[in-house]
Order: sequence, then structure tokens, then C-alpha cells
Amino acid sequence: MEIMYVMIALSLLMAVGFLLAFVWSVKNGQQDDLITPAMRILTEEKTNKPL
Amino acid sequence: MHASEVEEIATLTETTCFHCHEICQDDTIEYDEKAFCCHGCKQVYQLLNDNSLAEFYVCDVNPGKAPSAQNFEFLNNPHFQDKLISFSSQGVSKVNFHLPAIHCRSCLCLLENLQKLNSGIVKTTLNFGKKDLTVWFQEDQINLGQIATLLASLGYEPLISSDEVSKEKRKQVNHQTQLFIKLGIAGFCAGNAMLFSFPEYLGIEDGSLKQLFGYLNIALGSLAVFYSGSDYFKNVWAHLKLGKMTIELPILIGILVGYGRSVYEVFSHTGAGYIDSVSGLIFFLLIGKWFQQKSFDFLSFERNYKSYFPLVISKLEGGKEVNYPLNEIKIGDRLIIRNQEIIPADAVLISGSSQLDYSFVTGESEMVRINAGNSMYAGGRHTGERIEIEIKKELKQSHLTQLWEQQAFKDPLHKTENWENFANQVGVYFTVGLLSLAIIVGSYWLYTDPSRWSNAVVSILVIACPCALAISYPFALGQGIRWLAKSNFFIKDIQAFERMAQVDTIVLDKTGTLTLPSTLEPIAKLTRELSSSEWSALYSLALQSTHPMSRQFVRYVPEKQLIVPLEKFTEKTGKGLEAIIEGVEYRLLNAKYTGHRVPKDNNYIRSESQLYIQIGGISVGFIEFPWVYRAGIEVMIHQLQAKYRVYLLSGDKQAHAGSILDWFPDPSTYQFECSPMDKMRFIQSLQEQGHRVAMIGDGLNDAGALRQAHVGIAISDDHLHFTPASDAILKGEQLAQLPKYLVFSEFGLKLIKLSFLLSLVYNAIGLSYAVQGNLSPLIAAVLMPINSISMLLIANLGMSWKGHALKS
Repeated sequence: MEIMYVMIALSLLMAVGFLLAFVWSVKNGQQDDLITPAMRILTEEKTNKPL
Repeated sequence: MHASEVEEIATLTETTCFHCHEICQDDTIEYDEKAFCCHGCKQVYQLLNDNSLAEFYVCDVNPGKAPSAQNFEFLNNPHFQDKLISFSSQGVSKVNFHLPAIHCRSCLCLLENLQKLNSGIVKTTLNFGKKDLTVWFQEDQINLGQIATLLASLGYEPLISSDEVSKEKRKQVNHQTQLFIKLGIAGFCAGNAMLFSFPEYLGIEDGSLKQLFGYLNIALGSLAVFYSGSDYFKNVWAHLKLGKMTIELPILIGILVGYGRSVYEVFSHTGAGYIDSVSGLIFFLLIGKWFQQKSFDFLSFERNYKSYFPLVISKLEGGKEVNYPLNEIKIGDRLIIRNQEIIPADAVLISGSSQLDYSFVTGESEMVRINAGNSMYAGGRHTGERIEIEIKKELKQSHLTQLWEQQAFKDPLHKTENWENFANQVGVYFTVGLLSLAIIVGSYWLYTDPSRWSNAVVSILVIACPCALAISYPFALGQGIRWLAKSNFFIKDIQAFERMAQVDTIVLDKTGTLTLPSTLEPIAKLTRELSSSEWSALYSLALQSTHPMSRQFVRYVPEKQLIVPLEKFTEKTGKGLEAIIEGVEYRLLNAKYTGHRVPKDNNYIRSESQLYIQIGGISVGFIEFPWVYRAGIEVMIHQLQAKYRVYLLSGDKQAHAGSILDWFPDPSTYQFECSPMDKMRFIQSLQEQGHRVAMIGDGLNDAGALRQAHVGIAISDDHLHFTPASDAILKGEQLAQLPKYLVFSEFGLKLIKLSFLLSLVYNAIGLSYAVQGNLSPLIAAVLMPINSISMLLIANLGMSWKGHALKS
């Protein structure tokens, strides 16, 4: 059962890692605008040719 | 001649502009084999084409907006520089503009490529949801004013808002971010606590592991309770200080007792505690809080008169015009006012003459003619030549702004003062009932079996937590707000939604609310040019009638006309006028009377707004006046009258009322010539009689009444335009649907009451275990989430079901 202690430590470590990533992404403003990036991806790469 | 033929004639001559897709009115400009309605549109096209940005036109359908020639040089004034530039370093500055005209993907193509149009612009980022554009620019190459002017010339006129509003917004955004992080942490704690409670659920007996899991759970639980749940501590404390009990009090008691018991059990090695249930509860509660915070970033519910006024004024200094920010107006200043500009403060006209439109400010639809030497009041819109005025009163002392000195505006909480929401009303009984039950059961066990009393009390307090109300409330009402927003009815918050459900009296404003705004121009669709003698005859005919349409016509007729004598004049109510003038028969007819098939429009009933002209028995077309009632208003008023007390208030004279009074048979239900203050007092007196009042209005003249009412609904035809501070903004064309929306809001409240009953059943099951002191953590861990999730489902499914019906 000793292996459980290691696994618990690992699982907590991973979960905390994800939690920190989430907090960082919120603070970094990544969740502020969920609409524009989805639209941007469709327009940016196109070559601009005159009509 | 039939209406369809008239339409045909109209479409034959109509060309739509390649850029803005509006009908080219006068002369079409041909360029590059494309038609443009004006030079502005052509220039935008040219600019985009030359800078290989023509992709703009293929990204989405009809992307263009007519450009504006507004000059924003005034932004270079230090007053605005400080306010707008959020960051500046090494010659590069960052500025945020709100561009209400953003509407499609093409806007994104264009606005994020602004650096192609001006090399001074380093980079631009668009936030589509908020309609905000952030621009990084080089200060030595381009300034704020030039950027704003460039945006306006492309059709995206920036809306520069007053500082108070933007500060409020920033605070709100900060709060949202905080809540989001708390929610994430609560979810993390709940998920892991459940994982660590697994041995307990499964009955695995391993002492040391169980101990470790217990400690880990306490750590997670502490984070959930004291960080994620911190708002509950603050709110409950704030209310207790005021001597009030809210629904949050029993929730907090449940959380704290559950947490405290768990800490005790773990450290005394007597059990596993309820940490999984407690942190799960906090998680669900926070989801609810997050869900109810639907905010409409592109709308503002808090505008005061300042946002209606111009940002800058042009002062006359030593014969030269100098721009100043609005708040630098002083008594005695000479200002220049141009056509369609607004008088910023009470003043006297020095030179020129003006037609002032006070309809937005006073509700009076008639224009007022002002000559040199007469005084003019703040808020009037000037029509006519360039005029010079002298300021007589400061901004704050103006006739109009006095309204904002009223109590209702100073007290931010006045709407909630005399109103308790359902959750808090129930919350009091619930708390008292719960505590008494705990005391009774506790004392019973203390006498019969002292070992069980603490267990029983703890279980009662934990399991009976009124999470039904705390969860179904935000979900049901939050969903309600979302569904109504799909019908262009935007409600500020869930409290306003709930207040709407409790309304028993409705007060309607007339001008601009039931009628369409005066800013629209009449449209003439005539089959031939009329001679001046014909105009004179029609003018004389129309003069005979007081019907609003005839008055409109009189105002519309080109120049001053001669009045000619009429023979055999007849006016048939609701049908039209006829008379013989110089041997020819002239008729002004309502469309119904001509027997034309009338095409219906979204905005208004055309038959009410079209005036057909017949000369010598032959139809020569019609003139369409926008100043009529909105579509379906009559039906709406009847529907409302069947259920509510309905009142009509107007700043107009009763003589202008027209057919609307037919819909209000009881003279005590309408009042004319109301000042903005009268309207506010009218609402107040209704409230003093114990009524819950919804006010529906549009202009600044209704601002006081909107503020005073339980729910103030502002009508807006274009949500880019100014709306006075209100609880909800309803798009004008949807006004006729109002009875449906009110029923929907009532349904929302009924749904909450239903789910409350259901949760009482869950509670009864839980309590039957709890009073015996037998509530195992496992039962708690099953019952509590089931309760929460079923509340969530009922709220969402119920509201979606009704919401779908709302749309069809």
C-alpha cells in the first residue's frame, strides 16, 4: 500500500498544476474574450487580393 | 393605382450602395463599376482597395457602415488624453475605444489591419463581444484625435463614455475574474475531496491512509470554505449588521457547522466528516453566482444626462472657436451650436434662429421656435443654421439636470429598500424554522440519549441547507435574462427580472415610446411632381384637421403655402379628408380607406402611417410619416389592461393625443402635459398606494420615473443611441411583445417556488435521518449533490421550454 502515498502525492501535484494553470489563464485575461479569437482564426491567414 | 405598383416604381429607381448597402437617395456615384451613395462610402472603398483590404467586402455580407465626418480633434485635449490612454511607454501608447458599430466578421478583418492604413498604428486588437478596440500607436506619428477620426471615417464612430461609467465597468470586470478563480478553486477542492472520501464511501478500513485522507480533506475544505466561500462571510456579516437575515445565513451556518464537525471528527479520529459535501455545495453555489452574472457589455444601464450631452463644446474666444470639455462651461460663455447639436446648459440665443426639439427632454413632440434674445433650456436639440448662445446657468443648475438632484438618484439602493426578494423572504422563516428544529431535536436527545445530540444537530444544520433557493434562483432567473436577450429585451440583473414578475401596474410614456421617434424623416412616394397650386390646395385641406397625420402633413409641405378656400369639406374620422378646391376634388386618405393592400412592416403598421393623396379622383402616391404608433400597440394595451392597471403619461398636450385616447376609456388613467418631475411623482404616488410599478419610457424626460419605478424599462430603437438609466432596455419593435415577456418573468418565479417545494421533499428525507442522529457522510454526499443538480436541471429545462415558446 506504500505505493498509494506516492500516487496520492503525484495526483495532487498534477491537480495543483492544472489549478495553477487555470488561475494563471484567468489572471492573464485568456478567459476575457472567448468570441474574437474564434473569428480571428478564419480571417488572418488569407491573402489579401484586390477585388 | 395599387400599392404594389407604387412599390414597383420605388424599386425601379433604387440602387443600393456597394459599401453601406443603403438605398442611394439622390445622386449615385459611379466608381470602379460600382455604385456608391455618397463620397464618404466611395472613399472608404477606395482606401480599402488601395491598401489591399478589400477582403472586407467578402468576409461577410453587407459589412459596410456609412462613414461619419465627425472630427475628433478635441480628444487631443489633455483632459481626454489622461482618461483614454491606459498605458504609455517609449513613445508607444495604448488606447481603448468603444465602437458600437462593430457587427460582423468583416469588421474584424478591417479593424485588426488598421496598421496598413496608417503607419503610426503599431497594432490593434478587437474584442468582439464588448465591441472594444485596443490600439497601440506611436505618439510622434499619430495622435488620439487622428485615430478616432480615422475610425469614424471608416464608419466606426467611437463612443467616448463619461468616466464614472467606465470606472464602474472596470470594477465589475475585476469582480467577475475573482469569482471565476474562486469557482475554479471550489471545483478543484470538491473533486479532490470526493476522491479522498472514496475509502469512506467504500468502507475500506486502513487506519493510516484514512487519517492522511482526512487531513488532506481538511486542507481542501479550508480552502473552499474560507477562500471560495469568502463572499458568504462578508455578505452575511454586512446584513447582520443591518439587522437583516438573508437566505445566505442558513447556507453559511450549514457550511460552517459541516466544516467544524469535519475538523473535529478528523482530529479526534472519530470519523471522516462532510468535507466532500460541503465543498461540493460551495462549488454549486458559485456556479449559480457565476451564471447569474450575465452582463451585456455593449449596453449601459447607468447612463445619466451627461452621456446625452456632447463631450465637447466650441467656445467663442476672441472671435475664434476653441474646443473645451463639457464640464468647463461657465456662466457667460459664448458657444457655437450647429444643426442637430444639443444645447448643453440653459442659455440665451444671441444670434440666428432655431427650432428646438425638446421631445427627448420634456416629452413635448412639438418643435419650439426660438428667436434671438429668447432663452433655451439644456437638452434641446437645435435644428437650423449655426447659432451663437450665451450660457446663463451652470451645467448642474440647469432646468433639466435638477431632476438628478432628486433622492431617487442619490440613493443607489432605493429600489431594493421597500422590496424583499422571494429568497430572502423565505430565508427568514427558513432560518428560524431550522434553528428551532435543531434546538428541539437537540434537547430531546440530550434527555434521552446524550451521546447522539451533537450528531443530530450537526446533521440537521448540514442537510437542511436551503441550496434549492440558492441554486435554482440564479439559474432560473439567469436563464430568463438570456432568453429575453434573444428577443432584444436586455435586463440589467436577476433582481430586476424578479421585480418585473411582481408588477401590478404599468405606466406608459407616449412620445417616443408608443409612438416612433421624431428623428425619422417622412418618405414621399409620389408618382409625379405636384405643382405649387396643388401643394397649396393640399396644405389648406390638411390645415382643417387636428388629426396627427394632418398636422404631420402640414409640417411636411415644402414652403409656406397660400391658403385657398375650400368647398364641400368633409372629414371622416379614421378615413380621411376631402374637399373641392377650384373645381378639383382633393383627398387625403388613410390607406385603409383607399382599399389598398397594405404591406406590413416590422416597425409599424403602414396603414396608420401612410397618407394617400388623390387629386381629381386619381391617386398620386403617398407620403409615409414615421410619427405614428408602433405595430401592435393597440392589442398590447388591451392585453395589459386585462391584467394590470395601465396608465399613460405624456409631456404633450392632450390635443395632440390622437386616436390613442380611444384605448384609454377611463380619463383617470391618463395625464398630459407632465413635466419630468410630474412623471416621477406620479409613480411615487402609485407606490405609496402599495402598487408595484413598471415604467416604460424612452427619453430623458422619463429618467426620473424610470428610476423611481420598481422596474424601469427604456425603449430604444437603436441600442447604440442614448437610453436613460434603467433596469431593462427593450428594442422598440419588440414593445408589442411586452405582455408575453411579463408572463415569462412570472413563470420564472413560479418555477423557483416549485423547485423550492421539491427541495423541501429532499430535505424531509435527509432530515428524517438527521433527527435520529444517523446521517452518515455517505447519505449526505449523495443527497446534497442530487438536490443541487435537480434544482439546476429544473431551472434550466423549465426556462428553456418557456423560452422557446417565447421566440416562436
